Amino acid sequence: MPVSPALEQQLVLFGIAMLAVMTIVQLPAFTARHRSFNLPAGLLSLVVLAFAAAIAVRWLRESQGPFLTLYDILLSNVFSLSAISLFMIWRRRHLQMTLLLSGPLLFLLGVWLVNVPAQAVPLPATFDNYWLWLHVVSGKIFLGVCLVSASTAGLLLLARGAPRSGLAASFTAQTEMRTAVWSNLFLAFVFHSLMLLAGSVWAHSAWGRYWSWDPLETWALVTWITLGGILHARATFKDMPDSLGYWLVVGVFALAFLSFFGVPFISIAAHKGLI
Amino acid sequence: MMSLLRKLASLRLTLVAMFVLLILVLIGSRSTTVDVSVTAIPLAVLSMNLLAAILANHTFRRQTGLLVFHVGLLLLITIIGLSVLIRFDGHVEVLQGASFDPRDVEVTAVGWLHPGHLDEVRFKQGDVQVEYLAGLTRQSTRSTIQHGATGAMRTQTIGDRQAAEINGYRFITTPNKGFALLMRWEPAGAEPVYGAIHFPSFPQYDWKQVTDWVAPSGQHLQMELNFAEPVSRPDRSWVLERPQSAFSVNTQTSDGTTLVVGKGGALALEGGMLRVVDVQMWIAYRIDYYPLLPWALVAALLAIGGLALHFRERYPARQGAGRTRKEEAADACIARA
Repeated sequence: MPVSPALEQQLVLFGIAMLAVMTIVQLPAFTARHRSFNLPAGLLSLVVLAFAAAIAVRWLRESQGPFLTLYDILLSNVFSLSAISLFMIWRRRHLQMTLLLSGPLLFLLGVWLVNVPAQAVPLPATFDNYWLWLHVVSGKIFLGVCLVSASTAGLLLLARGAPRSGLAASFTAQTEMRTAVWSNLFLAFVFHSLMLLAGSVWAHSAWGRYWSWDPLETWALVTWITLGGILHARATFKDMPDSLGYWLVVGVFALAFLSFFGVPFISIAAHKGLI
Repeated sequence: MMSLLRKLASLRLTLVAMFVLLILVLIGSRSTTVDVSVTAIPLAVLSMNLLAAILANHTFRRQTGLLVFHVGLLLLITIIGLSVLIRFDGHVEVLQGASFDPRDVEVTAVGWLHPGHLDEVRFKQGDVQVEYLAGLTRQSTRSTIQHGATGAMRTQTIGDRQAAEINGYRFITTPNKGFALLMRWEPAGAEPVYGAIHFPSFPQYDWKQVTDWVAPSGQHLQMELNFAEPVSRPDRSWVLERPQSAFSVNTQTSDGTTLVVGKGGALALEGGMLRVVDVQMWIAYRIDYYPLLPWALVAALLAIGGLALHFRERYPARQGAGRTRKEEAADACIARA
């Protein structure tokens, strides 16, 4: 049954609107102590549902998953980043404040999404196998968990910068948040490793080689070495200032973000999806 | 000895080597003058550093997950290093109906310790079919080959997801394929010789099925292959295979003369006749020899398993949760007050 692109577009716009509302309702938290858990979490649930439905509609229409184009990547990542953030704050309620920073980023990704061509490109037969799924899913979990870690680190940095602010005052679980920065970064490292492994096996079936140092592969490896280096540095220098550690976490997320959304679409390498 | 081992196991050395690795990865992957193989230097330092840490550091050995992760990494680096030493990479174009000839292989990389069994590889190329969707989007490739010992030949269809493995060498289909003109050179007063001219990759160069060729007599020719009906169908799904439609060959000699012949036709050239026999497909294969790669996968899975185990050991589920919902709600009330 053909599904209209208009329905997908409406669902995407609804999801972006919910992201905007979620961002706006949280703004007072930067200055005031009072904050609500249920409203941002509820709005984020609507975002997840809207983007899940948009992906389902697109999948039904195109008979393939959102794997190839910039639109596909943005659409699936707004969904996965929102879903992972929601899961994390459901599991660890004190992480809910991370939405103060991740919310605007998700909104900007949504705005970017509606400004790129939505036309689908057929998935080459060589791309479609189980390793693609493992590669993509582990990559999305990596970026989602890394986002939560970096948002937590960013909030701790902001609170340090303005200790008398409402933001700092509303922190009720700073110890848990500090732990969350590093535990989530470690978890991100596990999934990044899995992403690299699955990606190299998948690349073999897609292009007949496991590794060819294309820009995306190179930057993914650079991100992995940097992540490992940061975790190693923290274990080596026990007295490393917290703020330096947080800056490093924010930095590695920026590196991962550029690898995901920058490198594949500015290079003309094979990873872009030659047919 | 122990003191030297401890120095070699230094965590600071690990960080320095990782930083150097990072820089060399960036330089090696982008530079045309510095090869990415320079990363072998920091990787060797990291391997020695890790081995020393395993031997000298008791705390390290007590953390099972961390130990398994690092042993897995060490195995992975060792296997990749050995694979580089025994590797072989190359490519070859094989004509439909012809046998693979190792002398046609263009070698792109060969390891110092490569055992070199390629000249024992034998197979015969059968039909080639490549499916396309509208818009010239390539779908599955099917290439049939026959290989095995004489009297026990087996037919195998290989393609995008299935390579042929013969004597440890893997033959992987590539997007590179096209048409070949099968010809018979009939020299005056001598036995005829069969040969084939490969035209540019199809459908990538659908618009330019032209190639230059030097006849056995030394005469320079430019040959253009034309089909009576279009072979590719950009507006709908189609299958690329040996064409059934009539074809002709426009041949331009060095003196500007143009000759047109079809199937069975012949060109009178200096020193003999060139007869056009038929059109066949040719297909290019990537050839590689990495017999240890399955073990690299095992080592990588071991490393990731160890990492996951260390995560569970280091951040147990309850510790990460920190506090119950009631405790959090109570804290939230205090914060509001």
